[in-house]
Amino acid sequence: MRRVSIVNRPGLNRRRLLLSAAAPVLCPARAASPSATVLYGDRATPVEKIRPDPKELWVRAADLPRINGFEVKPQGACRADMCIPVPKDLKSGEWFNLSGFARRIRQAYVADAGVWSFGEIPAVRADFYDSRIAPDFAVPDRAGRIVHLSAFRGKKVLVVSWASW
Amino acid sequence: MKDRNFEIVAAAQDTGGEVAAGRWYDRAHATFTTLIDAQHAVSTAFQFINVPMGIWIDEKGRVVRPAEPAWNTDQVMKIAAGKDIVTEGAVYTNALRDWVTNGERSAYALSDAEFARRVKPRSAGEMEADASFKLAVWFHGKNDDARAAKHWEHAQQLNPDDWNYARQQWAFTPEQAGKNWMDKFQKLDGPYYPKLDMSAEPAKKQ
Repeated sequence: MRRVSIVNRPGLNRRRLLLSAAAPVLCPARAASPSATVLYGDRATPVEKIRPDPKELWVRAADLPRINGFEVKPQGACRADMCIPVPKDLKSGEWFNLSGFARRIRQAYVADAGVWSFGEIPAVRADFYDSRIAPDFAVPDRAGRIVHLSAFRGKKVLVVSWASW
Repeated sequence: MKDRNFEIVAAAQDTGGEVAAGRWYDRAHATFTTLIDAQHAVSTAFQFINVPMGIWIDEKGRVVRPAEPAWNTDQVMKIAAGKDIVTEGAVYTNALRDWVTNGERSAYALSDAEFARRVKPRSAGEMEADASFKLAVWFHGKNDDARAAKHWEHAQQLNPDDWNYARQQWAFTPEQAGKNWMDKFQKLDGPYYPKLDMSAEPAKKQ
């Protein structure tokens, strides 16, 4: 709070402040404890701790399972029966470079204001093209109850989209 | 057809949620499963690029027919000279009934080869478009309209064939939505709804 009061102090020229060594205090929250929100599939995962980096999203490897279902193991990043080798430069201590990993597996992402949205993982999606097994979804019904497509296993299903617009 | 072990799952592709979609379900007296899909998760899963689109899934969870227009009425909407919108409800619902009755013996249950011919993996641009759309939905939910608009527009630039991206954004500026739609429609080369290919599988004709 004290830092904010410096910025607002009457008589302190904003331009001069920006040019001064004190400029970084303008975004103290970002410098102090960076965090992010990661969107993937139907998940929106708040990640309380990320490694400061202007370009890449470094998350703790321990957070990976709740972000995208992958787990970092000695043989790579693994999910179900799939393991993808992770080059050394994508790991650093407890940190895992999620954006770098995405590029490696050709997963699209866009980011803005600390929110990172990751697209489908081609290697996961390939299973649909190969096996024809419909990817599961989890979407709320009108009462807010989550409906999984997989709950209809054993029946024939027509999934049909529509919209009010 | 419920007694034939068949379920309809309808998914409103509405970022506006129950407020936007609910009354339409009420009006239809829906007896089927009614979902409110604010994030368009179903369109992402099945590569739906307009509404209505449908996909058939068998008892084992296999896709019998991939994304295609899913109408239940036949209509010809004369929008502009030489640019009609045609809906093919009768042929679609007849085929659906046939499959519900006959299962994999139905002539409309596609072979693996035909499935592979019809379903193409998304391109890099299409995958980024979808990630961008999801980011827009997030910012819309946070009432950050400027960021939502930026990412909705990015999605449309990357994948202009996807009408859901465009129409969802336009829904939030209803006074301009009609003009926006017409402008995009006028630039369209092919049909608004691709013609159904309900030809029977050669192997099943005998």
